Amino acid sequence: MTRLTASAAAGRRMTPQAWFLLGLGAVLVVLPFIVHDTFFLNALFLVFLFGAMAQAWNLIGGYAGQISFGHAVFFGLGAYAGAVLLGRYGLSPWLGAWLGAAISVLVSLVIGFPALRLRRHFFALATLALGEIMRILFLNWPYVGAAIGLYLPLEYRNRFAYLMWDSKVPYYFTALALLSLATGVAAVVDRHRAGVYLRALNQDEDAAGMLGIPTRRYKLYAMALSAALTSLCGTVYALYVLYIDPYNVMAGRISLLIVVIALIGGRATVIGPVLGALFIILLSEYTRSWLGGAGGGVDFILFGALIMGVSIREPRGLVGLLRRRGFKQDAATEETAPIEASVQQAAAKPQPDRDPRPASPGPRASGEPVLRIAGLSKRFGGVQAVRDVTFQVYRGEICGLIGPNGAGKTTLFDCLTGFQRPDRGSVHLNGSSLRHPMPHTTAWAGCGRTFQAMRIFADLTVWENLMCGQEHRGEGLWRATLHGHAAAAETHGHALLESLGLWSLRHRLASALSYGQQKLLSIAMAVLREPALMLLDEPVAGVNPVLAEEITRHIRRLNAQGITFLVIEHNMEVIMALAHRILFMAGGEIIAQGPPGEIQRHEKVRELYYGR
Amino acid sequence: MGAAVDLDLFLHAALNGLILGLVYALVALGLSFIWGVMDVVNLAHAEYLMLAMYATYWVWTLGRISPGAAIPIVVPLFFVLGWLTYHLLVRRILRAALATQIFATFGLLFFLRYGAFAAFGPNVRGVLEAGPAGSVLLFGVPVATPKLIAAAVSLAAFGGLTLFLRRTKTGRAMQATAQNRDVALGLGIPTERMYALAWGISIASVALAGALLFPFYQVSPTIGDAFLLIAFASVVLGGFGRVDGALVGGICIGLVENVLGTLLLPTFKLLFVFAIFVLMLLVRPEGLIGEPQ
Repeated sequence: MTRLTASAAAGRRMTPQAWFLLGLGAVLVVLPFIVHDTFFLNALFLVFLFGAMAQAWNLIGGYAGQISFGHAVFFGLGAYAGAVLLGRYGLSPWLGAWLGAAISVLVSLVIGFPALRLRRHFFALATLALGEIMRILFLNWPYVGAAIGLYLPLEYRNRFAYLMWDSKVPYYFTALALLSLATGVAAVVDRHRAGVYLRALNQDEDAAGMLGIPTRRYKLYAMALSAALTSLCGTVYALYVLYIDPYNVMAGRISLLIVVIALIGGRATVIGPVLGALFIILLSEYTRSWLGGAGGGVDFILFGALIMGVSIREPRGLVGLLRRRGFKQDAATEETAPIEASVQQAAAKPQPDRDPRPASPGPRASGEPVLRIAGLSKRFGGVQAVRDVTFQVYRGEICGLIGPNGAGKTTLFDCLTGFQRPDRGSVHLNGSSLRHPMPHTTAWAGCGRTFQAMRIFADLTVWENLMCGQEHRGEGLWRATLHGHAAAAETHGHALLESLGLWSLRHRLASALSYGQQKLLSIAMAVLREPALMLLDEPVAGVNPVLAEEITRHIRRLNAQGITFLVIEHNMEVIMALAHRILFMAGGEIIAQGPPGEIQRHEKVRELYYGR
Repeated sequence: MGAAVDLDLFLHAALNGLILGLVYALVALGLSFIWGVMDVVNLAHAEYLMLAMYATYWVWTLGRISPGAAIPIVVPLFFVLGWLTYHLLVRRILRAALATQIFATFGLLFFLRYGAFAAFGPNVRGVLEAGPAGSVLLFGVPVATPKLIAAAVSLAAFGGLTLFLRRTKTGRAMQATAQNRDVALGLGIPTERMYALAWGISIASVALAGALLFPFYQVSPTIGDAFLLIAFASVVLGGFGRVDGALVGGICIGLVENVLGTLLLPTFKLLFVFAIFVLMLLVRPEGLIGEPQ
């Protein structure tokens, strides 16, 4: 069954793309031996080169959704590194290209480390400005030729060791190799865990972090990979044109063209940048030759219009348009799916009756605390949101956290999971201290959380959503890039989806689920890696009584399997039936705690909560 | 080189920076305004500045109408252009993902810039005798009259917009829309019309800046590049989404560019602006007078 899910998920996405790429590759390898037209070969060289760069851009701009308008920086660094190392030190570009890539990676990390913290449009603006800054610096740096530029030494031509030739054909193949490399890298990332994580953090970084994905590390990784590939293209371009200056290799125009290709082709797809480069570069080169110098820019007007159209109509660009045609067949075959699903659900319905456990709380949990909070305080300006809170949650229990709106319950959760930094106090999870928690380190320490609002990844399938919840501690970037989902996670995930009645919907986009199904999915994502402690923020808010009953049933079942729960809930009926123990919070303080019956009779609780 | 000469040079640079800064502020105003009212970042903003300068150029070349007299023609024209931009493009991406919004205005930038390339060619155009000639002595420093007029009109525009937002019913409705679109809609405010109006005001104000710049600044299809970053730098420096932020930020950027540029290294004057912009983004993205989010 596990094998089935993996191959079904990968196979559905890959096959047509792989066929297309293989066929295209075969044609392109033969082509220069048939067609000798220099103009045509030059155009295809540019298609490959810009295709490779758009592919590289797509890693950070498409998958991770961090829009860079400054990729010409890495292109330029590659070009300059190759040219300077060859011109001044006679170093072969075979080495120079990789040194250039290393420099680009370094620069991308120096830029990315602070800038990837920023809100998305600020990141875009920062890269735009950094592109200009680099260009001005290189325009005034005599070592690299300043505004005069650099000529590459011609005496190395026609030697394979120096990658320079008189004919265009070897360049054609070099660029084709670059495009294959970039496409290969993109395909590997796309097919494995890393691609799913990048698309997840693109949609909701906080939610991804809370599942244990170290989001900033993945963004830096995508940025570095992207910079390295772009830099290699820069070196090859320098060897091709034999003369570089800041205007031809560090121009904002190049940065923008890369973005245009990836956007029109289709961002966050493997095939998109290739299609985009074919379409855009060929159109651009041929309109320029037909219309002559006077017609310069006409193609760009069209691209501008196309991008606006794409933004409004089809965010996946050309790939989206092609898929839309393909989808019509898909839709016909999938028509049966909802029926099948509803039948399954109907079959699953009687289950509550088979589980005749009364709504009364089960046995009191074992004495060992999973969560120990002491003296926790958090102030926002003049409001003391959490005031000197001390309590413990014991292994195996379901603990309710109730209190009026503004009592500080969600702020408490935020302090525990690293979304807020508490002013004072200590938090121990499983016996070890959480000193400066970040969402992903809290997750690694064994804490899961759902949010008050629905936080699932709408553009990912149900299965991909679930797999974002696998164990990320000790996962490592290479493992995530080179491996599919962990077998244990797939087996457990299968069982989990079956028990929630979501298995038949696993290939659906999460956005296609009903609200209640999304709620179930969000809990499943958080419990997949079997955290010691689950924090649920209003799990039954806004769902109908039948579904609320189903959700509480699942919580009880997971609790019986060994997961401890701390649950914020406003629905008193539900929480009193569900929890073994209740904490009552008001004005930032824990005012009372005890078994549900006791809390309901507690004088202060009645006064503050029920207004009596 | 005496200290007195340096002081003169400094005063001259500072005064020029202040005046240019006021025009930058007017360029940034519309960008910040749209950002504040509807949380949309318009990457094509500076392209409208470029188009307005071309419009002023053609009004002068074809009709011999001076830039000052052209303002009543150019500014309403661009108001309509802004209104159209909202209805044809922006309205359709309002509820889209942030990345989609960025890409849409990026497409608009391409469309307008290369449209100008195709229509007017790549050449730099300018008519230096178009504006009022002469100069005025200010603190013992001669300042060209067109620059002084530009600064004064820019200040007046800021005053006008502030009055509009604070004193008129429409202005208050617009502020309400900015704070919470759905509540405003519930109260019967036509939020669609407010947004369209905001775009009209935004583009009209940048067109005004274009007409004011024209007598002492030459136009080419690519001037949007530098101006976009200058405008963003002003907006981020002052605090995005705020009218007063654009004013403070614009003046700061004008001063940085002129004072640092003149006194230290003229070739690096834009570098200083961009570097301060990036530093500001990293250190205090809410701006000098904005409140942390």
